[in-house]
Amino acid sequence: MENNDTYLSDWLGNKITDDQLKQLISNNDFLAFQKIKNSLENFTVEDASLAENYEVIQSKIQTIKYQKSKIIPLWKFASIAASFLIFIASYFYFTKENTFETTFGQKQNITLLDNSEVIINAKSKLVYSNFFKFNRCLTLSGEAFFKVQKGSNFTVITKQGKVEVLGTKFNVIADENNYFEVMCYEGKVRVTLGKNKVVLTHGESVRFNNNQMENWAEENVEKPLWINFESSFKNAPIQQVFEKIKNQYGVEIDFPKDMKETKFTGTITHKNLETALQSVCIPLHLNYQKTDSGKIIIQNE
Amino acid sequence: MWCYLKNMNIKSYIKETNLCEEIIFKMIFDAYFKVLRNFLIYRFRNNQFADDIAQNAFVKLWENCKILKKEQAKSFLFTTAIRLSLNEIKHQKIVSDFEINFASNSYNTESPHFILEESEFKQRLEKAINNLPDKQREVFLMNRFENQSYKEIATLLNLSVKAVEKRMHQALLSIREITGTV
Repeated sequence: MENNDTYLSDWLGNKITDDQLKQLISNNDFLAFQKIKNSLENFTVEDASLAENYEVIQSKIQTIKYQKSKIIPLWKFASIAASFLIFIASYFYFTKENTFETTFGQKQNITLLDNSEVIINAKSKLVYSNFFKFNRCLTLSGEAFFKVQKGSNFTVITKQGKVEVLGTKFNVIADENNYFEVMCYEGKVRVTLGKNKVVLTHGESVRFNNNQMENWAEENVEKPLWINFESSFKNAPIQQVFEKIKNQYGVEIDFPKDMKETKFTGTITHKNLETALQSVCIPLHLNYQKTDSGKIIIQNE
Repeated sequence: MWCYLKNMNIKSYIKETNLCEEIIFKMIFDAYFKVLRNFLIYRFRNNQFADDIAQNAFVKLWENCKILKKEQAKSFLFTTAIRLSLNEIKHQKIVSDFEINFASNSYNTESPHFILEESEFKQRLEKAINNLPDKQREVFLMNRFENQSYKEIATLLNLSVKAVEKRMHQALLSIREITGTV
């Protein structure tokens, strides 16, 4: 029999009459099909109670309504609580401060979140928050050398002023006595102190001492000498030199007040106090004495 | 602007049909519950399962009453019921043999011999129907027991009328083979 034939369904659907079907199939087949058709007319499946089922449906609808009205506020509550928690957590995360501090004679290498490198010199403090990832900004007191990765603005904020760069190497001194010095070793930096703005390029330096600005340039410097345990000074106020010795060796130094205007050019080591003192005192014709308490008293010759 | 238009549309739906009104819902229930539930029996051969799925389909209809037209209710019920039952079937094997009832008044006046013969024939018929492939059985019984036209069945099951006719034809042939000659 062909698959495409549908004469039986045509017959069941009253599209063709009994006689038409009889012409297509044998009489025996016709009788058998008719018996099946007639028998099926007497058949039913077990009836369902409509009223009962309707009641079940209504109660199911009620349960869902009840569950929904209960679940939605919980959901809302949970989402509010969750977003609140995320807010608090991110607030604490981003405002969390990372502090690096060195004491006398100590140096520390730090790699920042953007892979910039910082070396902080003795008696210095560097602070940045986790928000640094989005806004490269950090605070410094003391002295540090920066090797900044290229990228967005990189800002060093000090008590005295700020230094902005795009990607370079530079050294910053911003100590407790209001002395502020920036030396640029590579690239370009902009130094702002109050209304003063200076742009430094390779080898240039600027210092602010008692609100006096001084610019100078040096050639062939790759990085500050203090990284190799030396400090170099060029026409630096003597007070600054003694401050440096104090930070490196952790000693108190007394010097005559009338020396404030004296300038010093030279290099001192961080490894030996005697040598360091000699390299300052001999060229300036000074005498130094060590007291029992470890204090160093400097006098004119 | 688009949002505004969309809102207007939904509002006019509600005005037109108001499926959400309980009287209309009850009307649809009375009209379609039995045929839906019996269809599920033909397909899955499990009364309890069919009751449950049919009830759940009506619950879904109620939940979606705002976005449905009255004319869409029937096909929505069938589509939903099939989807629900397929989800359920993954969890449990529900198929069992279903039983056909003779309409009680059919043999009051007949002789004992005839009754015996009839009941034998009934058993063979049951067996034959149970042995039909699901797709043929659901179509065949929907037509025979629920008086659904081929066209109606085709719409409900997303088939062509031709496919329904072929299944009917095949089903009757298979039943004939199993019940044997008269």
